[in-house]
Amino acid sequence: MVYTVIEQVVNGIVSGSVYAIVAVGMTMIFGVLRAINFAHGEYYMLGTFGAWFAIDYFDLPYPVAVVIGVVATAVIAVVVGNFVMQRIVGAPAEAGVLATLGVALILQNTIILVFGGSYKFFSGGYIEPVTLFGFTLAEQRILIIIVGLIVFVGLELMVTYSRIGKAMRAVSQNIECCAVVGIDVRHVALWTFILGAGLAALSGVLTAPVNVSVYGGMGELITFKTLPIIIMGGLGNVRGTFVAAMILGIAESLVATYVGLQFRDTVGFATLMLVLMWRPHGLFSAQARF
Amino acid sequence: MTEIVRDQTMTPAESPVAKTGPDLRVPFGLALAALACVAPLFLGNYPLHAIIIALIFLLPAHGLNLLLGYTGLLSLAQAAFFGIGAYASALLAVHFGTPFYLNFLAAGLVTGAIALPLGIPALRLRSTSFVMCTLGFVIIGQAIAKNWISLTRGDMGLAAIPKPYFALGPASFTVSGTVGFYYLVLAIAALATLAVYLIVRSPAGRNMIAIRENETLAESVGIPTWYYKLVVFMISAVFAGLGGSLYAHYLTVVSPLTFQMYYSTTMLIIVLGGGAGTISGVIFGSLLFVGLTEALRVAPELRMIAYGFFLLALVFYFPNGFAPLIGRFWSFLERRK
Repeated sequence: MVYTVIEQVVNGIVSGSVYAIVAVGMTMIFGVLRAINFAHGEYYMLGTFGAWFAIDYFDLPYPVAVVIGVVATAVIAVVVGNFVMQRIVGAPAEAGVLATLGVALILQNTIILVFGGSYKFFSGGYIEPVTLFGFTLAEQRILIIIVGLIVFVGLELMVTYSRIGKAMRAVSQNIECCAVVGIDVRHVALWTFILGAGLAALSGVLTAPVNVSVYGGMGELITFKTLPIIIMGGLGNVRGTFVAAMILGIAESLVATYVGLQFRDTVGFATLMLVLMWRPHGLFSAQARF
Repeated sequence: MTEIVRDQTMTPAESPVAKTGPDLRVPFGLALAALACVAPLFLGNYPLHAIIIALIFLLPAHGLNLLLGYTGLLSLAQAAFFGIGAYASALLAVHFGTPFYLNFLAAGLVTGAIALPLGIPALRLRSTSFVMCTLGFVIIGQAIAKNWISLTRGDMGLAAIPKPYFALGPASFTVSGTVGFYYLVLAIAALATLAVYLIVRSPAGRNMIAIRENETLAESVGIPTWYYKLVVFMISAVFAGLGGSLYAHYLTVVSPLTFQMYYSTTMLIIVLGGGAGTISGVIFGSLLFVGLTEALRVAPELRMIAYGFFLLALVFYFPNGFAPLIGRFWSFLERRK
C-alpha cells in the first residue's frame, strides 16, 4: 500500500518534471510578451517529430536525435518569432490569443499533412529498468528528473547573472521603462520565445521514449496541461511554475491510480478553478500582476 | 489606404453616414432578407446545408459578440455551453420524447442555469486568467461527457435524436427536409438577431459598452458592473445553448466532440472576422465562415492550416474585422451621389 503510494509519487515527479520543463518556457514567454502561447504544445510535438524523423529515416542514435529535434524546433521558432510573436508585444490580449491559436493550427496541421495523422512508434531512448532503493524505474525516467533539475538550475543562473537573462527579467517587469533605457524589447522577446520553444521541444524528446507513440495532435493536450500550471504558478514566475508542475504531476498520478485513469486530464483545470476561487492571482504571487 | 478608425460605439443606424442622405443599408438589408427567404428555390441541398450550419453558429456567435464585442470580455467558453445545450436537448428528446420547442427552450434554460455558478468565480478573474478559466469549462465539459457514461453514453455519444417535431394538442408535424430546417433555423436566427438588437439598443447596451471602454470609470458613475458582466455572461451562454440544441437536432447525433476548442475558435473567427461590437458584422462573419469552409473543402488539414493563416491575417491586418471595409464601401457609394 505505502509502496504503491510512493511509487505513484515518484511517477508523478517524473511527469511533473516534464510539465515543468514545458511550462517554464511558456511562463517566461508570458512574462516577456504578456501573451499566453496557445501553440506551446506544438513545439513539444515538433521536437518529438524531429527526433522521430531522425531515428526512423536516418537511423541516428537517440542523443543525436535529441539535438536534431531541439535544433529543428528552434529554427521554426525563429521564423514564428520573427513573423508572429514579435508583433504581439504591446498588442491587446485577444491579439495574442488569436495569433497563437492560428500558429497552433498551422503547425499541427502541417505536420499531419506531411506525415499523416496516424500514431507513430518512437523507438529510441533508454528503456532498461534499474532498481534504486528498492524501486524499479526506467532509465529514461531518471534521465528526465536529472535533466529537469539541470534545466531549472541553469535557468536560475541565467536569469540571475547573464545579460540576456537580466534583460528578460527587466522586460517582464516593465516594458516601457526597458524601451526608455534602450533595451531592445523585440530582441529580448524573440530570444525568450526561442528559448521557451526549445525547452518545450527538449521535454517532448525526453518523454517520447516513455510515451512511445508520436502523433500530430499530441501538442494540444500538452498545451492544455501547461496552461493551468502557469496560472497556478503565478504568470511569469519561474519557481512557482516548478512547484505547480510538481503538484500537478503528483496529483495526476494519484488520481489516475485511485480515482480513475480517465479523470487524469481534468485534474489540471479542476485544480486551477479551485485555486483561483481561493487565490485569484495564483498560488505564489503576493498580488495580481496580470 | 487611410487608417480605419476604431469606432464601435455607434451602431450602424446612428453613424453620421446614416444621418446625411438616404441610407442604403435598409434597402440592402431588406433585399438580403428577401433573398434569404427565397434561397431554397435556387440553392441545392448542399449549399443550404452550409448556410444552415452558419445560421446555427450565428447564435453562439451573437452571444460571444455581446460578451466580447460589447462588454469586452474574451471568453473561450462558448464551446462548453454549445455542448451543454446540445446534450440537454438531446437527452430530453431521447429519453422523454418531448417536442422540439420544449427541448429548445430547456436547453437555453439549463445552459443559463449552469453558466451562473460558473460565471461567479470566473468573472472575478482578470483578462488572461479569465480566458484560461473559460477554456477550462470546455475541457471539463468534454471530460464529463466522456466519463458520465450512464447519462451520456461516453464516447459513443447519443444517436437517433429526433428531427424537430412540433406538437400542439392533437396536431403535430415534423421538420424533416433540409428546406424545412432551413426556414426553422432562419426564423430562429432572425429572432435571435432581433433580441440582440433590442439588448444592444437598450440602456443596458450603453452600460455594457461603458464597461468595455473603461470598467473603473463605469463603476464610478454607478453602473453595477459586476451584475452586468454576470448577466451578459449568462445571456451569451443561453445563446450558445440554443445553438447547441439546434445543432443536435439538425445532425441528430451528439458526442463528446461537441465540446471542442474548434467551436470556440470558430465563434471567435465569426465575431472577430465580421467585426466585434456590430450586429451586421457578426452576420457577415457567419457567411464569411461558410465561404471560407466551402472554399477549402479539398482536405481537412488544408482547411485548418488556412484557418490558422486567416486568424493571423485577422489579428495583424484587420484588427477590426472585415465589416469596417464594407462600411467604407457604403460611405464611398453614398458620397458619389
